[in-house]
Amino acid sequence: MAERTLDCLGEACPVPLVKTQKALEEMAVGDVLIVNIDHSCAMKNIPDWARSVGHGVEIEEVGEGEWDIIIQKMK
Amino acid sequence: MSNAIPVTRTRRKAQTPEERRRSKIIQISLGVVVSIVVLFFAYLAQQTNPAGAFIILVGTGFGYTLQRSRFCFTSSLRDPLLTGTTDLTKAVVIALTLASLVFMALNMQKFGMDLKQLEVEKALGNVLPIGLHTAIGGFLFGIGAVIAGGCASGTLMRMGEGYAQNWLAFVFFVFGSMLGTALLNLMKTSPIFWTGTAVFLPEVLGGWIPAVIVQFGALFGLYVAADYWGKKKAGAL
Repeated sequence: MAERTLDCLGEACPVPLVKTQKALEEMAVGDVLIVNIDHSCAMKNIPDWARSVGHGVEIEEVGEGEWDIIIQKMK
Repeated sequence: MSNAIPVTRTRRKAQTPEERRRSKIIQISLGVVVSIVVLFFAYLAQQTNPAGAFIILVGTGFGYTLQRSRFCFTSSLRDPLLTGTTDLTKAVVIALTLASLVFMALNMQKFGMDLKQLEVEKALGNVLPIGLHTAIGGFLFGIGAVIAGGCASGTLMRMGEGYAQNWLAFVFFVFGSMLGTALLNLMKTSPIFWTGTAVFLPEVLGGWIPAVIVQFGALFGLYVAADYWGKKKAGAL
């Protein structure tokens, strides 16, 4: 089970989501992707998308206005 | 989520409960201070403008709603293609339906039910010609929104969130609006742009009833289409 961190700090709205989608495509089922974000919009659209696709999602607040989204690829 | 993700990672440290409690206290105190400042400004504005307090309070409420709900006009049109989610699309259709109701009521009051005193130029709520300028403007706006990381309302809302990129974007937002206003009269008289006529449904269709049917029928159709698209995308993936 591999783990990968994706640094999306400073990236605006659709970019973190697109990067997350591309990163997950390259990963195997069961792998974990940690996305670092500081754009509040990404805190909604990444989890929403990942959940709708069926991945496991957790959000952790790292600091004020900074979050880690932890996604486990399920399929 | 029931099957929790196994945690074996080296990464940034999450906030401790104590830190979280402290930032909560700071946030609430700041919220109280900002609310008092807004009320004070509303009071000041009321001294010079009879609608001043109303405008400031509605604006603040609008911003609060945008921030909390993550309501975003740009992503309502982008997400169906990018992620296949249509929740925001449906929210925008509902918002348009509510706006249409108020728009209709105000214009009914102004022109009467029989449309005898109808003058489209005087209709409330910006009934303006569409044309090439609409398409070009939309395209430019899209490029700008991607670079700035937000549309117009999103930029203003994220300035409040403290996203520095949008402070920079705001400077150019103001500059661009100024340029647009300066060029507006030139556009209006140009033979290429602004050539279409303004479409006011009750005038085109000859009455309020067909206009209501077309307007709300189209909105209902959009809602059903968005709902179908969202369900199809979620199922197919």
